[in-house]
Amino acid sequence: MAHLKTIQLLASLLTASLILCSCDNGKIQSSSTQLNAQYLTEQGGTLVDALSGEPSGLIAMLAGESSSSAIAGNIFNSLLRYDKNLELIGELAQRWEVSSDKKSITFHLKPNLKWADGKPLTSEDIMFTWRIMTDDNTRTPYGADYKLVKHAEAPNPLTFRVTYAQPYAPALDSWASLHILPKHLLQGQDINTSDFARHPVGSHYYQLANWKNGESLTLVRNPNSSQGPAKIDRLVSRIIPDKAAQFLELMADNIDSMALNSVQYARIFPARPELNQQFNLYKELGNSYTYLGFNLKHKPFNDIRIRKAINYAIDKQEIIDGVLLGLGLPVSSPYKPGTRWSNPNLSPYPYDPEKAKALLAEAGYTDHNGDGIVDKDGKPFSFEILTNQNKEREMTAVLIQRRLREIGIDASIRVVEWATFISRFIKTGDFNAVLLGWGLGQEPDQFNIWHSSQQQPGQFNFIGYENHQVDKLLEAGRLELDPDKRMKLYHQFAEILYQDSPIIYLYAGYGLPAIHKRVKGIDNPAPPAGIGHNAYDWYIPSPLRRNEISAN
Amino acid sequence: MLIGISLISFFIMHLAPGDITTTEAGFNPKASEESRQKLRELYHLDKPIIVQYGLWLERMSKLDFGNSFSSHQRPVFWQTTDENNNTKLGMIQEALPITLLINVMSMALIILIALPLGIISALTQNKLPDRSITLFVFIGFAIPGFWLALMLMYWTGVVHHWLPISGLHSMGSQNLSSFMQIMDTLKHLILPVFISAITGLAGISLFVRNGMLEVLNQDYITTAKAKGLAHNTVIYRHALRNALLPLITIFGLSIPGLIGGSVISESIFAIPGMGKLFFDAVLMRDFPVIMGILTIGSALTLIGNLLADLAYAWADPRVRKGVVR
Repeated sequence: MAHLKTIQLLASLLTASLILCSCDNGKIQSSSTQLNAQYLTEQGGTLVDALSGEPSGLIAMLAGESSSSAIAGNIFNSLLRYDKNLELIGELAQRWEVSSDKKSITFHLKPNLKWADGKPLTSEDIMFTWRIMTDDNTRTPYGADYKLVKHAEAPNPLTFRVTYAQPYAPALDSWASLHILPKHLLQGQDINTSDFARHPVGSHYYQLANWKNGESLTLVRNPNSSQGPAKIDRLVSRIIPDKAAQFLELMADNIDSMALNSVQYARIFPARPELNQQFNLYKELGNSYTYLGFNLKHKPFNDIRIRKAINYAIDKQEIIDGVLLGLGLPVSSPYKPGTRWSNPNLSPYPYDPEKAKALLAEAGYTDHNGDGIVDKDGKPFSFEILTNQNKEREMTAVLIQRRLREIGIDASIRVVEWATFISRFIKTGDFNAVLLGWGLGQEPDQFNIWHSSQQQPGQFNFIGYENHQVDKLLEAGRLELDPDKRMKLYHQFAEILYQDSPIIYLYAGYGLPAIHKRVKGIDNPAPPAGIGHNAYDWYIPSPLRRNEISAN
Repeated sequence: MLIGISLISFFIMHLAPGDITTTEAGFNPKASEESRQKLRELYHLDKPIIVQYGLWLERMSKLDFGNSFSSHQRPVFWQTTDENNNTKLGMIQEALPITLLINVMSMALIILIALPLGIISALTQNKLPDRSITLFVFIGFAIPGFWLALMLMYWTGVVHHWLPISGLHSMGSQNLSSFMQIMDTLKHLILPVFISAITGLAGISLFVRNGMLEVLNQDYITTAKAKGLAHNTVIYRHALRNALLPLITIFGLSIPGLIGGSVISESIFAIPGMGKLFFDAVLMRDFPVIMGILTIGSALTLIGNLLADLAYAWADPRVRKGVVR
């Protein structure tokens, strides 16, 4: 019958189109002996990675999102940078001096610096960037650090000096995070709308060659790089929002690296030897920790015994094993374990439900009516744990809920979308407990998070923490420029925080990059700064390079 | 009509807690509240909502959709050129053609497959072919699109290297001839189009089947058969044409859907289309982009309805006469 023929025709058309498409991509799977062989360092090749989100622009202080900083960090230099052990060293600056009154910092630039377009890079450019950051019309939320500079000057092309009203220790970190912009290209333009954000010219290892909206960004080597030439010719970042799709692209050898999640790292990779033959796995401690924070203005969380009871009731290792599949570390101070700021004498509150119950009873909470929930003055102890849409945090909340139930606390969980979370709950202070994360930055100053003056709506001490001693230590830490003395202050600060237990430290997770074995020169195990600290020395030996579609 | 729609969407949008200053660096301790307040003033977000609506309406009257908050002031709708001759492409301008292409192709695929399936179903009502077709389209309807997408990506992309997995272009495709570039993009579109078609198959094919069945039971079909016309003539000339009339309405109604795009499918396949654009804009509270998409969407819905009515009148003399009289 005619219609059956139509179907047959359609079917054969479909098959034909599939066969037509099955033309091979010319991919050669390198053998594992070839991949594991020793190669000499050489230049060239392309490294492809995946980004989950597209940068909005490449002026990082205007854009703010991590994808923007990731790309812009390859294009722009700062005055200073952190080395593999997270100590400050010069990048554009050859050296820097702090004056004897500790109020001014003088940066001496390296000689003969150039922009990618060949124009000289001088202290005028740094002056210009500082002016932009402190201009009231610049749409950046990050201007505060730079506005503290009372006076900035560029006495000669190689010298830049800033003077603060009083000593400000976080200043050096702020100069390590500020990307220096070219004055000769931006002068007279409105930085907020300038096309420069999409066609940037920098001074670092790479320059932007091509940006396909929503698809990919391609960087090529900058011949005028201020830090010497990079080894790899081209960096391509493909925008692939979905993690599962990224993983498929990795398996198909279309991208060289991606950040795995713990399931991919701990379950899928071990089960697939063919993946292990092609990829190296790395483990680097991430830059944030997850915590359970209390609203200290609300009863009963203003009682230190209650906070400690909950701390003892939560099994942190269980959360790390269950949620992160073991790929995390417990923390006991708000600093990265293993760095100088983290207090080595503190260890996490142990899991001790009996002690927790005793503390609850001491605070007046016992189970009077026998319903399994402790109560005081006839009111059962129940509260809500609030978190945002984040699978890890949701699972963590569930584990906490169960452990709290065991000591007789009835916790419910509420998950809300990020913008709602911030404006409806955090800003208004309308919450009991939150499950959130804070950064573990290189700069130890955490004035904005813990100082009692920072409790206005929109500020970051939203849990309402007030401790005189902590206030003093935080203020002193900002004035102290000597790293060793500073370290002591922050160790003391972490100790008080540990005793007060205003938040419960849960874990710091590992970042889990997988990188194809064709990429050589990567430090393993990762130093404190992570594997990316020497990305410019990575190289891809020519026998291992991917076949590329070249110009006809 | 459009003003009413835009007013309602504008207010609902502002009912959601938060704005661009909460989503952009809202939770970085280095971002001070003063700077955020300053940002709010620059975007006029500190004004009462009705004033903000007035400002928006004023710009709209000049057909200016404004610039996006979150993507470095890119124009929302169409490209603009600044004094230095740098052209910034509009966000909708870029996303719309991609989504439109995928949806039109999948619509065409749906019709191509659903029509014969529906006809066969109707002709073999309650027999094996009908039953298996109905089962097949319902499986397609019920299967989670993202799961099927991932499975097909794995099978055709990782196991067999037949098709690209995600994105729209292969790396280095700019070096190919323009014909090969088009082929390259089409190859990337096969899976997204297929996934979007398979879920839409059930509706149309059952519609055709039921329409056919209804028409086949009409007296004039019996008459046509009785006067000895060939089977095919009866089916395709007399029955099918009448059964297809209601489809026009469906297509008219699907015009707004054509520009909608699917967030899930676009995220999985890494396609920068309208669904992703809208979803991200809502999460970022990027008001100009949200309003731009909603306004264009509602305008197209109105146009779609109008076109459906006109097409119906063109195709069906009964309606046309009714209108004229």
